[in-house]
Amino acid sequence: MKLYARSAADLARSIRSKEHSVAEVVEAHLSRMERMEPILSAIITPLKEEARARASALDIALSRDENPGPLTGVPFIVKDNFCTRGVRTTCASRMLEGWVPPYDATVVRYLEEAGAVLIGKANMDEFAMGSSTEHSAFFTTGNPWDPRRVPGGSSGGSAAACAAGYAPLAFGSDTGGSIRQPAAFCGVYGFKPTYGMVSRYGVVPFASSLDQIGPFSRTLEDLLLAMEVIARPDERDATCSRALRPDFRKALDVTDLRGKRVGLVKEFEGYDIDGAVIESLRSAREILIDAGASVVDVTLPTVGHGLACYYIIAPAEASSNLARFDGVRYGFSAEADSLIELYHKTRQGGFGPEVKRRLLMGTYVLSSGYYDAYYNKALKVVAILRGEFDRAFSEVDFILAPTTPTLPFRKGENIGDPIRMYMSDLFTLPANMAGLPALSLNGGYSEGLPVGIQLIGPRFGEMEIFSAAAVIEKSLGLPRLAGGVL
Amino acid sequence: MALSFQTVIGLEIHVQLATKSKLFCSCSTDYIGARPNSNVCPVCLGMPGSLPVVNGRAVELAAMVGLALGSKVQQATRFHRKNYFYADLSKGYQISQFDLPICAGGLLVFDDDEGKEVRVAITRAHLEEDAGKLVHPSVDGRLAGALHSLVDYNRGGVPLLEIVSEPDITCPPHARRYTEEIRRLVRYLGVSDGDMESGSLRVDANISQKVSDGRWGSRVEIKNMNSLRSLERALEYEVKRQRKVLAEGGEIHQETRHWDDGEGKTRSMRSKEEAHDYRYFPDPDLPPLIVTADRIEALRSLMPELPWQAERRLVDAYGLGADDAKVLAESAAAVAYLDGCVQAGAEAKRAANWVRTEVLRVLNERKISIEAFPLKPESLASILALVDRGKLSTTAAKDVFDVMVRDGSGLDTAMAAAGVVSGRVEGSRLEEIVEKVLAENADAAEAVRSGKDPKDKKIKFLQGLVMRETRGQADVAQVASLIARKLS
Ligand SMILES: [Zn+2]
Repeated sequence: MKLYARSAADLARSIRSKEHSVAEVVEAHLSRMERMEPILSAIITPLKEEARARASALDIALSRDENPGPLTGVPFIVKDNFCTRGVRTTCASRMLEGWVPPYDATVVRYLEEAGAVLIGKANMDEFAMGSSTEHSAFFTTGNPWDPRRVPGGSSGGSAAACAAGYAPLAFGSDTGGSIRQPAAFCGVYGFKPTYGMVSRYGVVPFASSLDQIGPFSRTLEDLLLAMEVIARPDERDATCSRALRPDFRKALDVTDLRGKRVGLVKEFEGYDIDGAVIESLRSAREILIDAGASVVDVTLPTVGHGLACYYIIAPAEASSNLARFDGVRYGFSAEADSLIELYHKTRQGGFGPEVKRRLLMGTYVLSSGYYDAYYNKALKVVAILRGEFDRAFSEVDFILAPTTPTLPFRKGENIGDPIRMYMSDLFTLPANMAGLPALSLNGGYSEGLPVGIQLIGPRFGEMEIFSAAAVIEKSLGLPRLAGGVL
Repeated sequence: MALSFQTVIGLEIHVQLATKSKLFCSCSTDYIGARPNSNVCPVCLGMPGSLPVVNGRAVELAAMVGLALGSKVQQATRFHRKNYFYADLSKGYQISQFDLPICAGGLLVFDDDEGKEVRVAITRAHLEEDAGKLVHPSVDGRLAGALHSLVDYNRGGVPLLEIVSEPDITCPPHARRYTEEIRRLVRYLGVSDGDMESGSLRVDANISQKVSDGRWGSRVEIKNMNSLRSLERALEYEVKRQRKVLAEGGEIHQETRHWDDGEGKTRSMRSKEEAHDYRYFPDPDLPPLIVTADRIEALRSLMPELPWQAERRLVDAYGLGADDAKVLAESAAAVAYLDGCVQAGAEAKRAANWVRTEVLRVLNERKISIEAFPLKPESLASILALVDRGKLSTTAAKDVFDVMVRDGSGLDTAMAAAGVVSGRVEGSRLEEIVEKVLAENADAAEAVRSGKDPKDKKIKFLQGLVMRETRGQADVAQVASLIARKLS
C-alpha cells in the first residue's frame, strides 16, 4: 500500500520498527499533497520545508534510539484557525492574512510533543462561519469525491485533505457541525468531543461555549490515537476538564453491543432527508441490532428550535470574540485619520460578508432591549434541550442520527441562500448546544458520494460512541481513500 | 420661601489589588516604570485564541475586603464581558463581574471630621480587569496636538476591585472621609497600596440633589478626581453648580462630567444618550467561579485585626490618645511593631510615642516600609528599658537609636559608637568635664565668678554645655552645684 494511503497507527508502527524513515513518510505525503492540491485547493499554507526539517530532526532522534512519541513521524494538518508559532494563522480571512502568532495552540503542542509532523494549514470558512468552505476569503475547496461539489465546512480543507491522503490525521473545530458535516461530505471520521474534553487554547474561537476541537481520520484506530494525544487537561483553558480521560483505544476491542440501547430521535423523522442518508441509517441500525443492541425511540421536543437558538447564541458570542480585530495590535489595519475611522475601515475591509452578517446578528441580539427577547430566551431553550437530552440518555446509551440531511451539494448551490446553508447543520448543532460528544462516520456511498451517519453520546460518554463505531467499522470496513480516480 | 437642598452621593472606588500577577494571566502587575508593553502576553494582549484563567489570589484579596466590610462573600459568582471599543482595551471587551459580584452588601462606619459617626452601606464589590494606557506623544502629553497615540498594555489585565457604595453620603467631606477609610482598610489589609496619585485607587462619584419642593435632580457621574483634595473640591463644585441650576428652575440631566483640577470645574463628557450599550453577557471562556464555604471560612479565620479595631484597642488596652491611635492604625505593620515593643516589655505609651515620631521619621526619610525597618521591636524595647531605669537619657537614647538604625549594630556597640556610657556621669569624671567646659568658656566663667550674671543666663549656658558633654547622663542639680563651687 502507498504510504499516503496508510493509517497513522500503521505509519507510526513502521517508523518505530525502522521499516520507513520519517523523511520517507513525510515526503510521500507532501508529494500526494502536491499532486492533488491543484484539483482540491484544500491548503492555505503548505509547510514543506518546515516538515522536511522536522522529519530529519526526528530521524536523527530515532537513530539515537530516543524514545519516540505515539505519533512520531505521522504527518498531520490543522485548520487554519489553530495558532502555530512562527507560521501564519489566517482563519481564511483578510483580517489575519499576514498574522504570525507567537504561540502554539495547546492541541498543536500536544501533537508535536507526541512526534507528529505538521505539513500544512487547511482552508476553512472565514472564522469558521459557514458550511461549505466557500466563505474562505482566499479560494474555495473541492470535494475529493467530486471537486465540483463542496467539501462541507467550516473545516472543509481539513476533511478534504484527510480524505484525499495528504495526511492520515487532520484537525478542525466544531461549533455547530464544522467537523462532522465536512467529515460526512468527504467520507471520513470526524469527531466533536464533549465540551471540555479538549483544550481550546490557541484555536481562534467562533463561539466559545460551543466550540470544540477534534480529529479527522480514515480509521477509527487513528481517531482514538489522536484523541489520546489531544484530549488532556490544560491549565490554560478554564473550560477544559481536569479529569482523567479514558483509555479510548480500548473501544477497538468491542465486538458486541449486548445490553446497549440505541436511541432514534422521533423529531428527526419529520425532516426532509435524502434517501441515501435514510438508507445508510437503516443499515447502521441493522448492524447495531445484529451486535445485540436494542433500538429505542427517544423524544427531544425542543430540538426543532435548535437552529434558531444556535443562530442567536453563536453570533452573539462571535460578535464579542471578534471585537478584538480593530487594527490596533495585529492583523489587517486600514489607513485612517482617527480611531473611529480606523475601526470602521479595518472591519469593513477585513471581514467578509458572512462574518459581517453574523456580527450584526450577534450585536443586535445582545443589545439592551433585545437581550431578554433573544439571547436570554435562547439560553433558556438550550437549558430545556439539555434537560431533554439528559432524559433521553437515561433511556439510551447513545443516539443514532443523520449527520447531514443531504449529500455534498454543488459549489455555489447554497451560497446565495444563507438559511438553506444553515439547514445543513440541523442534525449536528444540537450536540454543540448540549455539549455532547458526537461522531460522524462513513455509512457507505451513493452514486460515488460518501454518506455520513452520526452517533451522539452523553456528556463524557465518548466510550459509548467509540464502542458502537468499532462494531460498525468491523461490519462496513474502512472508508475508502478519496481521489484515487483523479 | 427659599428652597433647601439635600446632597446625595454614592461612590465607586476602584482599588488595584496587590497581586504579583494579572487577573487572567501570569504577567507581572509591576507596570510603574516598566518599559512599555514589556509585561504582556497573548492573553492580556487579547491575541486570537488566547484564554483567561482566574488568578485565585485576586479572588482571596477581594474576599478579604468583603469580609472586612461585612459583605456576604458569594460562593457562586461569575464573570461577564463588558463590550466596547477603545484602543486601550485589547479584546474589545473588559472582563468584569456583573450580576453576581464576589462581595454583596456591607457597611462602613467611620467618624467625620467633627467626630460624629457616619454609616455608609456598601452595595457590592466586584472584580474586573484594568485597561492599558494611551500615551499621546505631543509636546504637553495631551491628546490635542498629538499626531498619533501609543498604547501601553502593561496595566491591561491588572486586577481591580470596584467597591460601590449606596447613595448614603450626604456631603463632600463625608465622601472624602469614606474614601480615606476605604484607603486605610485596603492598605491595612495589604490588599492594595491605595495610592490615588499613581491611580491604584480611583474614585468616581454619582451626585444628585433633592430639592425641598419635591424635585429631584438627575444623577451626575464625576470622573478624573486624582486626589482626596480634588475629590472634595469636585464635589463641592458640583453641589454648587447643581443647586444653582435647580434654584433657577433649570433641570439637571443625567450625564458624565470630567473634573478639571487646574480649572477647578467639572465639564460635560457625555450625555445619557451617548452612553455605551455594553452588551453584557456571561463570559463563556470562564466557568462560574465557585468559592467554597470552607475557603471563605479559612479566609475569615485568617483575617487580621481591622484598622478600626486596632485603633480602638490602642486606646482601650494601651491607653493611647485618640490621635496617636489613629496615626498608628493607618498601618498594620506599625501596630504590629508597637505590639512587638510592648511584648518585649516596653511601656506602651512611651513606645507608641517612639514609633510615631522616631520610627515613622526614619521610614519617611528612607522611603521604606516598616517591614524593611532595620531595628527589631525588641531592640527598641531594650533602649526604652534603659531609659526607664534611668540609665539612658532621652537624648542619649535617640543617639543610640540613630546609630542602631544607621549601622544595624547591637545595643552595646551602638552605645559606644554614640559615645554614650551607660549609667551616670558623676564624681571625678563629672568634675573633669566641668573643668574642661569652664576652661573652654573662660569669658562666661569669669562673668559668673565676678557676679556679672544677674539673670543666671551664663550659668545656665555653662550647665547646658556640661549636660551636652555628658550626653545628659549627669544629674542637673549636681552639675549646678559643682559649677557654683568651682566659680565661687
Ligand atoms: Zn499577560
